[in-house]
Amino acid sequence: MRKKNTWMPVFILASSPFFIVIVMVSSVIIGTKDITIEEIYQAIFHFNESNVDHQIIWTSRIPRFVAALLVGAFLAVAGAIMQGITRNYLASPSIMGVNDGSAFLVTLAIIFLPNISNASLIIISMIGSAIGAGLVFGFGSIIRDGLSPVRLAIIGTIIGTFLGSVATSIAMHFQVSQTITLWYNSKIHLVDPTLLLLSAPIGIIGIILAYSLAKGITISSLGEEVAIGLGQKTLLMKIASMLTVVILTGVSVALVGRIGFVGLIIPHITRFLVGVDYRYIIPCAAIIGGCFLALCDVISRLINFPYETPIGVVTAIIGVPFFLYLIWSKGSVKSA
Amino acid sequence: MPKQTTRFIIIQLVLLLFILISSYLHLTNGEFDMKIMDLIRVLVGIGENEMHELVIFDFRMPRIVLAIITGAGLGIAGVVLQGITKNELADPGILGINAGAGVGVISFMYFFQVMFSSLSLNGWVSIMLLPIFGFVGGIITAIFILFFATKNQQMDMQRLILTGIALNSGLGALSMYISLKLSPEDYEMAAIWTTGSIYNANWIYIWSSLPWLLILGFVIYRKAPILDYFQLQEDQMISIGIQTEKEKRLLLYSSVGLISACVSVSGSIGFIGLMAPHIARQLIGIKHRYVIPVSALIGATLVVLSDFIAKTIFSPSELPVGIVISIIGIPYFLYLLIRNKEG
Repeated sequence: MRKKNTWMPVFILASSPFFIVIVMVSSVIIGTKDITIEEIYQAIFHFNESNVDHQIIWTSRIPRFVAALLVGAFLAVAGAIMQGITRNYLASPSIMGVNDGSAFLVTLAIIFLPNISNASLIIISMIGSAIGAGLVFGFGSIIRDGLSPVRLAIIGTIIGTFLGSVATSIAMHFQVSQTITLWYNSKIHLVDPTLLLLSAPIGIIGIILAYSLAKGITISSLGEEVAIGLGQKTLLMKIASMLTVVILTGVSVALVGRIGFVGLIIPHITRFLVGVDYRYIIPCAAIIGGCFLALCDVISRLINFPYETPIGVVTAIIGVPFFLYLIWSKGSVKSA
Repeated sequence: MPKQTTRFIIIQLVLLLFILISSYLHLTNGEFDMKIMDLIRVLVGIGENEMHELVIFDFRMPRIVLAIITGAGLGIAGVVLQGITKNELADPGILGINAGAGVGVISFMYFFQVMFSSLSLNGWVSIMLLPIFGFVGGIITAIFILFFATKNQQMDMQRLILTGIALNSGLGALSMYISLKLSPEDYEMAAIWTTGSIYNANWIYIWSSLPWLLILGFVIYRKAPILDYFQLQEDQMISIGIQTEKEKRLLLYSSVGLISACVSVSGSIGFIGLMAPHIARQLIGIKHRYVIPVSALIGATLVVLSDFIAKTIFSPSELPVGIVISIIGIPYFLYLLIRNKEG
């Protein structure tokens, strides 16, 4: 376990505006339509409605960047909470079926309630997260060793596949499979600005909630007995943190669909950089996750230029080797 | 006759009957229904009805035959994988071998299709080559999995499955990336194919996959006694004089070959390789001489039946058969995991 390292979190937090601006500028200038930095400056300070470039910047590129930044932050924080509270190094929204639960219920909502409002979509997505997590942990607790990292990951993947298959078959029946494929493969290039305005505050409340739980999560990550010994109400802590995970994941899926691996990798990288104190891990994971996903979004536009590659492909190509590395190095260890 | 042999023969006959019944349902139902007399007339070749002949011989028949080949191939491959890994949860789909073969096939479509379209026999040549590319992808994946799952010369089951899951999503992403670069027609084909579907079955597919099933199925069947020994500890096997590593490799390559042939013609169909061997073992015991053929027939029955469900349940729109199988297969998988609690 690494020693607490106080200058690193300060460095990350202090330099974050700089990195965010760099990612933002590259995210805005790179794309099928070239946009110069001059143009961005003009668009921000002297917005001209008849200028097509300005329109692109404000209605497409900036919302997209903001969505990637926020979703990256939300998923990374959700993953960090899950890993801390379950002491499971593979815990993350995408592996534990939370993402899939959301995507499943959103699929049903799109089919059966086509005129659904944005606010209800976010709520439905959160309920879906809760269902997904409930199913996976429910099965985990009735299966022998089911809550061990590897078993839980297997159960999560299997239940995720199941929910996905059911959703696909219903979607095919109602002939909306194309819309649903978008949800499943993340639709970050089609972010709806009004949905973004609605989800941002909810997600930020989730992050604040996560931060307020940070001390308890640090204690929980030391082990159940230690936590009880230190006088922590472990059940309450678990419920509060699952609720936070559900809010953060639900908002993310409602906003951009299902994106894997961010919630798995970023908490590990963050812990490696800043140590084991969740008061540092949570804000730093938010920043690193946000910048990471925004950068993946830029890469997704570049690797098959001028066509866009789904962002999930980019996160998977970066995430899978990392995942293998985790199995390779920690495969026999029971906790993280 | 020994009791088990009688039992074996009865089970085989019952399964064949099941396949016949599902095939009959499959042949007579669909976009338009046929009566049994129409079917017999077409099969015997009396009464010229071109419409019926077309539907039976060009659409429904190849589909059933392909379903049987795929189901049997995956059933046998599942027995081998579960045998050599000594893990009853091993399945070509879960281990990521399907996905690996998939990447091989999709890369073939991307890199080589153009090259072959200039040849006059292009359809034949390229479809015959598909299983070989699938094989290369599948083998590379299998070697990768074994490399990651083995630590201190011991194969760790948890790691095996977990590596499979990781490779599955990674290779899935890779397939998707390559398929986005395909021409629209090829993309359509690749998209249908990756979800596991046999509805564009044709006779060329059958001729390209059948030899693999027959040859490799025979090779594996001949190795049935060795598979029985695999239930022993490794050192016990060596002391009887079995070259475990060599046999393991031969069996692994044969099963990957089978899987690749199936995947190259019918896409990624999961869970058959998991379910069929289990059901077979429950019916006939653990002797591989019996388990292999029974598992093959159960696999065939499952795929034919699932394909029938896939094409009728939401008719006129069709589901890919892979989805139907995973909706049936996943509860079964969870059931196996829960049942392990006591065992």
